[in-house]
Amino acid sequence: MEKIPVSSTGKLLRVNLSSKEISQESIPFHVYRDYLGGRGAGAYYLLKELAKGVDPLSEDNKLVFFTGPVIGTLAPGSNKVSVTFKSPLTNTYSMSLCGGFWGPELKFAGYDALIIEGKSEKPVYLWIDNGEVSLKAAEHLWGQLIPKASDEVKKELGNDNTIRVACIGPAGEKLNKMACITADRHREFGRGGAGAVMGSKNLKAIAVRGTGEIQMSQKGKMASLVKTLYQEFKGHPKANARTRYGTVEMLEGINNLGFWSTRNFSQGYFEGGEKLVGPKMRDDIVVSDASCYACPIGCGKNARVYYKGSRVHLEGPEFETVGLLGANCGVDDWESILKATEICDYYGMDTMAVGATISFAMECFEKGIIGLKDTDNIELKFGNGDALVSLAEKIANRDGFGDLLAEGVKIASEKLNAQDYAMHSKGLPLATYDPRGCKGMALTYATSPKGAHHMISPTMGAEIPGDRFAEEGKAGLVKDTQIQMALVDSLGFCSTMRFVLSVDKQQQLLELGSGLEISKEDMFKIGERILNIERLFNIREGFNRKDDTLPNRFLKEVIKEGLSAGHSINLEKMLDEYYQVMGWDRNGIPEESKLAELNISQFGNK
Amino acid sequence: MMRNKVLAVDYHKCIGCRICEQWCSLSHHGVISPVKARVKVHRIEETGANIPVICTQCNPAPCVSICPENALSRDLKTGAVRVNDDLCVACRKCMNACPNGAISLDTSGETVLICDLCKGKPQCVAQCPTNSLTYVLPEIVGREQRTRIARCFEKGGRE
Repeated sequence: MEKIPVSSTGKLLRVNLSSKEISQESIPFHVYRDYLGGRGAGAYYLLKELAKGVDPLSEDNKLVFFTGPVIGTLAPGSNKVSVTFKSPLTNTYSMSLCGGFWGPELKFAGYDALIIEGKSEKPVYLWIDNGEVSLKAAEHLWGQLIPKASDEVKKELGNDNTIRVACIGPAGEKLNKMACITADRHREFGRGGAGAVMGSKNLKAIAVRGTGEIQMSQKGKMASLVKTLYQEFKGHPKANARTRYGTVEMLEGINNLGFWSTRNFSQGYFEGGEKLVGPKMRDDIVVSDASCYACPIGCGKNARVYYKGSRVHLEGPEFETVGLLGANCGVDDWESILKATEICDYYGMDTMAVGATISFAMECFEKGIIGLKDTDNIELKFGNGDALVSLAEKIANRDGFGDLLAEGVKIASEKLNAQDYAMHSKGLPLATYDPRGCKGMALTYATSPKGAHHMISPTMGAEIPGDRFAEEGKAGLVKDTQIQMALVDSLGFCSTMRFVLSVDKQQQLLELGSGLEISKEDMFKIGERILNIERLFNIREGFNRKDDTLPNRFLKEVIKEGLSAGHSINLEKMLDEYYQVMGWDRNGIPEESKLAELNISQFGNK
Repeated sequence: MMRNKVLAVDYHKCIGCRICEQWCSLSHHGVISPVKARVKVHRIEETGANIPVICTQCNPAPCVSICPENALSRDLKTGAVRVNDDLCVACRKCMNACPNGAISLDTSGETVLICDLCKGKPQCVAQCPTNSLTYVLPEIVGREQRTRIARCFEKGGRE
């Protein structure tokens, strides 16, 4: 039997909250060979272990946390840990990635992966102190906001500030379907509702302390490669822009090209964007910079504002948050955007989904579908920052009108009979790029296994210099980008590293770190295998072509103004082309020959 | 009169990436392990401040003075404190005496970890992406901070 990668621990920690059983397992070599780790290995375990048709908020769902083989080595920006689960928001396979320090700490504690299953009768938190793992009572923490809860946990465990805590807030406890899991206070497993799954299991937090070490296969060569990579980051304009302005550096370009989602995707240009661009943000609100573990870029921006006289201080804002809580709600003042972000951060909600859900409600209000009596007297007009803040708080508490919206935009729109204004795919709200202005993103949103998530294949960078409106030929680009993202996510790199780390460089870092020698061709095959595994999970749950779709607005209405004016999307043609390049049939189901080629025939269910 | 350089830190520039910790543990132990690093970045989560805790090679050094086993001495070439692992009994008196909190106990529990300035080529400084850590003559320490403070005065306000 081959040996596990040098830079891996080879161990999986399994915690069953029903039986309180805590056990360790070896991770077989083939998991690393076929899926690398992170997102890929998570998808493999979820597909293998979850029965068909599991209710996402029942004790049968699992949270599969998986680190990557480069985490804990010198590799730059290697800090992302994934959680894989069946989503309560979409009922599909779902996966969220979290940066910060929690993932590396888990690995230093001796585990590549952690599977949480079952459901505790009473609220508990998990304490992983290297090899000693225990469940602790958490009734006194239930209901607490995230900063308080994570500080309490650290205090209880010996006032050790370096303990890393991933926890949920009241939103997760109340099964808010947009709830996230927050690590280190400011880093989230954001999209898809992992926080609600954790809440349904009565698990408040996972605290980790790791004092172990990570080895590298060829440390001398690794050190010299990493030194040259640091220099490349220093000289890279895109990386430099990230260092200075965080992800908000993208705002100006996307807005000027006319595909920045504005007023619930009814427009592609936000006139208030000028107040929110990177240099303005830096001048007006940023107080310092922050980084995740081992990252030389440091895109995190600590910001401070005063909202109605009370201080708001948080790490953020990043581009998607500014887009969905800002432009998409027509709000252009930092005070309201940051206050709403703080509510999401403290209660534990995905800022993107919350922003998209509020903008949906705003459009319903403006169109007269709902009125003041429905919204608990909140004047839900686009641009009303106070309404944004009030509604975010109501959603967090499931209070009044917020209770309906906490179910997510899909269910809320069905109850209000306003499906045309719910901008989601498979239940997950879109990111802040209007796909009519960048057609690869249309295919990305429609075919993403976890719903309309942009980072499954962010094709903007490749499309903007070329013909971003072309539909033909985009399937190949989307497939290629999806594969590259599957690799980045499975190795444990932050996607921002791609500016400098090509697949070649990632492969070299993997080899020098872990000792795994995988050809470039095989790397691409691994990426493709991951996409197919994710697809097979969804097909088992009854998803197929009919679900690979976009809101009607994009298919039937054109953007009216700006540099993307006149464009809508012919999705069906793009889908045909995409299925063909993927080796899937007309219904979007992988052909048996494709599964055989990828050595995953055992998961076929045709 | 020694003309040794010292480690200096400008915590305003630190982003908390802990790359310094990685290179420190690699150069001394050949592995990546934050607890084996002699430099440690402490993040205050409420404010997001990152404070790298470093050895300032005090002179006279309380750690050297207090060591009952004479395990600590001064490297004359670099001015760095040297730990003789054979003599160290891990009594931790030096840890308590250190005004910076820059000394830690090794994972073995048998000896202490003190910055040795990497024989005059500190790896933490060499790889710091923001130049938050520098290795300079003592009289140079703090010039950049002074410039920043002067600019604040010029603006007539607080930072």
